[in-house]
Amino acid sequence: MRRLLLAAVVCAAALALGSCASLQRSFDEGDMKKIVDLVNRGQQDALAGMSTTPFLVDGEVVVLPADVAGFWAGIVKSGYRVQGAALASGAKVAVDSYTLFASTMEVKSFFGRYVKDGGRILELTTDGGKRVRILLRSAWPGWKIAGWKGPF
Amino acid sequence: MKSAIIGFVLALCAAFALSAAPADVTYTEGDAVVKTKAGATHDVRIGDTLVTGDTLRTGSDGLAELDQTGVTIHVASNTVFTLMERQVTGQPSTVLSVALGSIKFKYGKLTGTEPGVRTNGASAGVRGTEFSVYAGADGSTLITVDTGVVTVESQGKSVDLAADMGVDIPLGQPPGDPFTVQRNQIDYSQWNDSKVQAMLYDPLAALDNIETAMASYEQDVASYVKDFNDYSQQLKKERANYADILQKQGADIAGKYNQDVVYPLMLKTLALGLNVRYSSLAALSLRRFVAGRLYVTERVKYIDREDSSEWQDFLQKYTIILDGFEKMIAPQLVEADI
Repeated sequence: MRRLLLAAVVCAAALALGSCASLQRSFDEGDMKKIVDLVNRGQQDALAGMSTTPFLVDGEVVVLPADVAGFWAGIVKSGYRVQGAALASGAKVAVDSYTLFASTMEVKSFFGRYVKDGGRILELTTDGGKRVRILLRSAWPGWKIAGWKGPF
Repeated sequence: MKSAIIGFVLALCAAFALSAAPADVTYTEGDAVVKTKAGATHDVRIGDTLVTGDTLRTGSDGLAELDQTGVTIHVASNTVFTLMERQVTGQPSTVLSVALGSIKFKYGKLTGTEPGVRTNGASAGVRGTEFSVYAGADGSTLITVDTGVVTVESQGKSVDLAADMGVDIPLGQPPGDPFTVQRNQIDYSQWNDSKVQAMLYDPLAALDNIETAMASYEQDVASYVKDFNDYSQQLKKERANYADILQKQGADIAGKYNQDVVYPLMLKTLALGLNVRYSSLAALSLRRFVAGRLYVTERVKYIDREDSSEWQDFLQKYTIILDGFEKMIAPQLVEADI
């Protein structure tokens, strides 16, 4: 009887953990789709409004709000579209996550100062096998885009 | 070594109350924020005081006016202005840094201890009472003088500008020939747009200029760091001598030894430490407001053409500049600088 109870508890815990993981994945997919949709529809102002300053582009720290807006405007102007986006992974920002953008003192400091709490990195695959990484930072009542890397 | 230099500088500055003159905000409108030397960012308000290391940034509708012991500083829109400090003749000296945008300086009267002015590619010694500094997105500088004389220096060469004269200084190059300017007739946007167009027309040439200017900062930092280390060693030795003298010969002789030998050595070491910071922050300004902005512009341009030879050539050269920065400059920076 005791063994049965223990097994039930273990199963329940595993189910709960699994649900949490799948719930988080669905959140990540929703966030990714929202951003990709804005890029593909050329919504540069909305993207700029959802972005933090400073903002990370690959390994570059962009500190002027006008330059962050210019980055999104440039993407739209270039006609770039994120074709066939699929979420490859979503992960909480960890101590060494900065290396996913660039292994430099500046990017390490950027992560240390601006995304240490509640940040997530979404990695997506696109048509043609290219990848894009999006850095999200928690900001009430949801999140903001704090960085973009790719396609690479 | 980074923490040793920064720690030494901060401790001595605090101990001897050495710091450049602060600047008071006397007027502001529109988008204007300050990033303090500790890294915090907040809107600028009238009555705020900027101290060494603070950076004032104005947006497209932003303006600010500062007063710094007799100097009125008009900060125009889309400008990045930092209050910096270095040592030149044994005393801390204020340097007013214009990383981007345009600023007009107006001196009440000249005292001989006027702060210097710098951009990413040039420095100006002030002997004039009213002049303007324009810092372009490509790192080039335009300086025009309304009254008095201003000495402009870049890459080891200098020119004197008298009233109603101006000079253009391309990044990484010496000043051009002075020319006559119509007072208050310079249109910063027009001038900057022409610089941006030239930069984007030939990004590799722009990178060459950035590389030259960055190499100059890296050389300065390497030289100051080496001297700082030598002086630190010597200071350590002399402090041990002082302790020995104090024990064996008493407080009077030790006090004189401290005054004649240890104290001057300490000030010299502090000067070198301050100059390491100054040159490192100047290099960061070049990296952030010229190199980084060019990178983002080119990155977006080639976002879907990563394999193109133009982008690959750009990236190759850019990576070399970044590697040098990471090796020579980044070790002298702290998280709050970013």
